[in-house]
Amino acid sequence: MYLFEYQAKDLMRQWGIPVLPGSVAITGVQAREIAQELGCGPWAVKAQIYAGGRAQGSFSDAPRSGGIRFSDSLDDVQYAAASMLGATLVTPQTGAAGQCVSAVYIEPQVKTQGELFVALLVDGESGEIVCLATTRGGESIEEQVRYAPESLIKTLLGSGSGIAEKVGVRIGSALGLEQASCTIFADILQRMHQLFVTHDLSLIEINPLGIQENGRLIALDGRMAVDNNALFRQPKMASLGSRAETDAMEESASRYGFNYIRLDGNVGTFSSGAGLAMATLDAVVDLGGKPANFLDVPPVLEASRVKQAFLLALTDSRVRCLLLNIFGAGIMRCDTIADGLLLAHLEKPITVDVVARLAGTNAQLAISRLERSGLPIHFSPDLASAAKMAVELAATPDRPKSRGAITGQIGRWFNTLGHRGR
Amino acid sequence: MSILVDSATRVIFQGITGRQGSFHAERALATGTRVVAGVRMGKGGTSHLGIPVFDRIDDAVSETGATASVIFVPPANAADAIEEAINAGIGLVVCVTERIPILDMVRVRSQLKSSNTVLVGPNTPGIAVPGQCTLGIMPQGIFLAGRVGIVSRSSTLTYEAVEQTTRNGLGQSTCVGIGADPVFGLSFVDCIERFNADPQTDGIILIGEVGGSSEETAAAYLADIEDSKPVVAYIAGQSVPVGRRIGHAGTIMHYGTGTAESKMNALACAGATIVRSPVQIGEQMASLIDNGL
Repeated sequence: MYLFEYQAKDLMRQWGIPVLPGSVAITGVQAREIAQELGCGPWAVKAQIYAGGRAQGSFSDAPRSGGIRFSDSLDDVQYAAASMLGATLVTPQTGAAGQCVSAVYIEPQVKTQGELFVALLVDGESGEIVCLATTRGGESIEEQVRYAPESLIKTLLGSGSGIAEKVGVRIGSALGLEQASCTIFADILQRMHQLFVTHDLSLIEINPLGIQENGRLIALDGRMAVDNNALFRQPKMASLGSRAETDAMEESASRYGFNYIRLDGNVGTFSSGAGLAMATLDAVVDLGGKPANFLDVPPVLEASRVKQAFLLALTDSRVRCLLLNIFGAGIMRCDTIADGLLLAHLEKPITVDVVARLAGTNAQLAISRLERSGLPIHFSPDLASAAKMAVELAATPDRPKSRGAITGQIGRWFNTLGHRGR
Repeated sequence: MSILVDSATRVIFQGITGRQGSFHAERALATGTRVVAGVRMGKGGTSHLGIPVFDRIDDAVSETGATASVIFVPPANAADAIEEAINAGIGLVVCVTERIPILDMVRVRSQLKSSNTVLVGPNTPGIAVPGQCTLGIMPQGIFLAGRVGIVSRSSTLTYEAVEQTTRNGLGQSTCVGIGADPVFGLSFVDCIERFNADPQTDGIILIGEVGGSSEETAAAYLADIEDSKPVVAYIAGQSVPVGRRIGHAGTIMHYGTGTAESKMNALACAGATIVRSPVQIGEQMASLIDNGL
């Protein structure tokens, strides 16, 4: 779960990490009032989105206007804030769809003598918290580190609940900081580490950490992510959260716990397990097909939730053919998937071709249930033939589809379920 | 022969009385796995599925001589369960639980360093040796005892590789899911090392996915060793667009790693045979083995 800059800065302030005074606004007028309270300008007006690269980004309706603007007058603050609010900002980190700006953060603009980058995250390889630091902070950091990898200082911080001051002092002097700044850096690092372990963060990144004239350091931006798996014991963090989804279908997917990503093609895909879902796309692409989506439905026991996933995949009018690829195991059973498909059909009749590859737990049961339903489903014994058929069907020009009604005994059973309002 | 476990392995189920633990213990028993004890605080002295249940894992170990354990404990308590198993001196711990907080796993990893325990997972389907031992949640009825060692980060793709190698008659020596979490125990390298030492294994299927650097580490190891049995590698996620991200730390942490391309290139350079589509895994392995490579 991501935090906005203003939320991250509130937390940093609480934990004694130096940040500028500032506040969040949701209207232009409010932005003006905040700027006035902060004193005489200039001010920075910063779009609040769950991504970096804001200065390099641009608004879809006003190219060449970045997500961070510096203003000399209160009128300009108000204008900048009002034009950002409600607009969609696209940055190198948001993906092409961009993110809608619903709040802006106002703080004084300050001059710095240098910009550091410092971040803590968990390193999977060592299984420890790692500190990344470089003097080449700012928005071009990725290029900087690519061309001068030696400028990035990586320090493993172990697995303890705290770190010694000397660790930060050592990193600070490796960065070439003056002695006084080293001490301040060490203090900031200890506080970042405390914040990280206390609130189950998966990332805390300060970029830039500005070096001021007097040698003091100040966090000019802040990115934080909280470990979703630990939200159960972080009620305060959970209350800050919302998710980064902007696409309406992706948002509806996350509400039901599905992983859905909209893609550009016409072969709808439906799988359970992230690995199999990715592999399904790879198989389609390898045959020259174009997937319409990535959809990973986590193992569930209720057919009613599987139904929601099918409705989601079938809502997409670009889908010419739906490729269903399921390997039942654990609590994910093929018959639950079949039931979900039939329930979805009752709610919104399926008019596209469906190719089903069902294997693993209760695969035969699922196939016979679907066969007896009378729905026109193409069954394939393996992923190779299923992907091939799906790609071919998606490429076939339109032809009249039989609107298969669910018939027979199974049909009656499902119709009863349907009338019960499942 | 097999790696990690065999028909003689004596297994404890931690969380045996829960719905998942109970379901999979029953299936393990049905496939011949020697499940010798269950652990559940408060249920000590009772029995479940005919298996004695203990309050504490130490007692289960000393009473039954168990050498491996499988964990079906909810995420909030799973790290504690792993640590109890480590402290009880269990040699092999398979943690099926998913959604364990990452900092709990950081703590577990530091404990593992000073122990002799091998951890598989978390967030793993476990280990299966066809006809001998099933530790975890792998489905029944898809295995065939045979010649290929399978190691995978993804659960469902483990089954996919199993099905393909069953279908073409190669069969499996041992299948290991190393888990899909960022901080985990047993690695690709550990499994390749063991498969190369296992006389029953004639070829290795490695299934990775985008993200992290385990596949690149495996490639570096393969490039380093003198000789390896043939390796077929598939990396899932070649067609998944790069997701949204926040900040730069994840990108600069491991420059040049993490993408499907970087993993496939690294493995190809190290001598592995890469398949671009998951449907080619089984046939590619068969052709390598048939050609005596």
